[in-house]
Amino acid sequence: MKRLLLLSALLLTAAISYARQPAAADSVAPLRPVTSAYMLEAGSSSVADSYLSPLTYRGWNAAFAYERLQAMKFDPDNWVMQLNARIGLDRGRNQARNAATWRIDANFSWGMLHRWKPLPMLTLAVGGSTGIDAGCIYNPRNSNNPASAKLAWTVNATAYAACNLTIGSLPVTLRYQPTLPLAGIFFSPEYDELYYEIYLGNHDGLVHFAWPGNRFAMTNLLTADLHFGATSLRLGYRGYTFSSKANALVTNIHTHAFVIGLSGEWLSLSRRHSLSRDARIISALY
Amino acid sequence: MKQLRLIILSIASLLLAASCHEIPQYADNPRGNFEALWRTIDEHYCFFREKNIDWNDVYSRYSPMISDKMTAEELFDVCASMLDELRDGHVNLSSSFNTSYYRKWWSDYPQNFNNRIIEKHYFNFNYRQTGSVIYGILHENIGYMRIPSLAYSIGEGNLDNILYYLRTCDGLIIDLRDNGGGSMTAVETIVARFITSRTLAGYISHKNGPAHDDFSEPYPYYYNPAQQGRIMWGKPVAVLTNRSTFSAANNLVSIMKLLPDVKIVGATTGGGSGMPFSSELPNGWGIRFSAAPVLDPLGQTTEFGIEPTEGCAVNLDPQAAIQGRDTILDFAINLLCNQTPRL
Repeated sequence: MKRLLLLSALLLTAAISYARQPAAADSVAPLRPVTSAYMLEAGSSSVADSYLSPLTYRGWNAAFAYERLQAMKFDPDNWVMQLNARIGLDRGRNQARNAATWRIDANFSWGMLHRWKPLPMLTLAVGGSTGIDAGCIYNPRNSNNPASAKLAWTVNATAYAACNLTIGSLPVTLRYQPTLPLAGIFFSPEYDELYYEIYLGNHDGLVHFAWPGNRFAMTNLLTADLHFGATSLRLGYRGYTFSSKANALVTNIHTHAFVIGLSGEWLSLSRRHSLSRDARIISALY
Repeated sequence: MKQLRLIILSIASLLLAASCHEIPQYADNPRGNFEALWRTIDEHYCFFREKNIDWNDVYSRYSPMISDKMTAEELFDVCASMLDELRDGHVNLSSSFNTSYYRKWWSDYPQNFNNRIIEKHYFNFNYRQTGSVIYGILHENIGYMRIPSLAYSIGEGNLDNILYYLRTCDGLIIDLRDNGGGSMTAVETIVARFITSRTLAGYISHKNGPAHDDFSEPYPYYYNPAQQGRIMWGKPVAVLTNRSTFSAANNLVSIMKLLPDVKIVGATTGGGSGMPFSSELPNGWGIRFSAAPVLDPLGQTTEFGIEPTEGCAVNLDPQAAIQGRDTILDFAINLLCNQTPRL
């Protein structure tokens, strides 16, 4: 790690122009900068979990998210990897406004996407990812059922469309990316099962095969990266729709959040292997 | 191309349909709140069969009482009366102005307990107390320990101190009268001092669906003895009970009753063997109800109470009480004195 230097480097236009060059022309290994984004999210939430209450709790949600994209070494022009990590917190009140729930949720995913450039300014990508989603909805009003734990490991389909354009003289990258878990496993207690019974050792019926028919969890992310030099301002929207049904228990969650963050491209360089002038730079997103 | 469009439309329709798991919603008016309450109990309450309750018949009797013009208090009274049909001390309706309780499970029985008699006439107000537990040594060299609640776990250190202090006694009386229950983990903490090996504590079950007969297989659960180094009790024990020994305290009695050298003395307990769940109505009123039955180590329900050990059913004699005597406590003292071989 001592020999690695983190350099904030590259402008969007240069990355795109290098990336457009055919891979066969490379005489040296191309450079694959990491596109990183740190995002804060704030918006509204709607949470209903029939294990806790039949009522819907509405309120706010806030989150911190990290995203990392990088062209993949084996075929950097056509494949990118994406890593996402996010932790969020919701608080909502019932319609009578005499009870509140809290929801905390953390997820992590890693995936690969194949990309195409049908137009010079447009990138389309389709791929898959796998990730873990863990969380808990807490209703302090309840006696022996105050919390509903959420845990899932899923394999997801994901795709994005990214468009590089200029607004005035400002380069902007617009992106829309939906993500939908297609299969996996998830946890659910039985209908009126106490967590105390699970603690005592009864683990029957807790793990379920997940598919969109019993666990639908779609994320829609829309971002606009405004490129001010090496660092970009990210503005956007994240919508999340979740609906699960297992053991006759239903959970419905909807969140809508405004996204603001910083993004940029970063290169890790080794002193042993200096930067070649002939190396192409292949951007993951820009 | 048409086929591709059809496939995409089919997938989109499937996803749209899949994303709409619904939770039945009711209007926030007297009718809607009544329907929501009846439905919640219908789908979650666990003792319809044991109590031979026809919940549809209950609906047909109470539903005509609902009017859109009734006040919140009138609605509350009708709903509370309907819940009383369940004859369950674990069932409550909670509003900002009242909480309903079914009280007949204890109010129709003699109380069989007066704490003042013990504190004054047996200890002359000279007893020890740690947390909520009162303890001391009676004249007959019998240890006495009153646990008024299991709402909070009893500390292992507290139990060590109590049992160490009483170590020279010939027997131990655990007074669970008027103990309305609390935490199941507190039960485990106490039982662990009276067992020497892994012991079957009972069975727990739960509703696994909304139908009245949707139950999981009873799951056996076990308690282990307290960790090495803790103070254990191996001498005879008498557990005092009355009708207000309820819920987790009832569960504690059900386990203790089957241990060797333990006698249950007093009156039949109050039951309350269903672990309660919570829910709420559209107007924000809270509901609590039994949802997960706990069975004794023999696999029997204790919802209707636990009878004392054979030959140990005793009531508090009101005349003796006036004289400062607790006949249930006296019975237990005599039982332990006669049971313990003297050197």
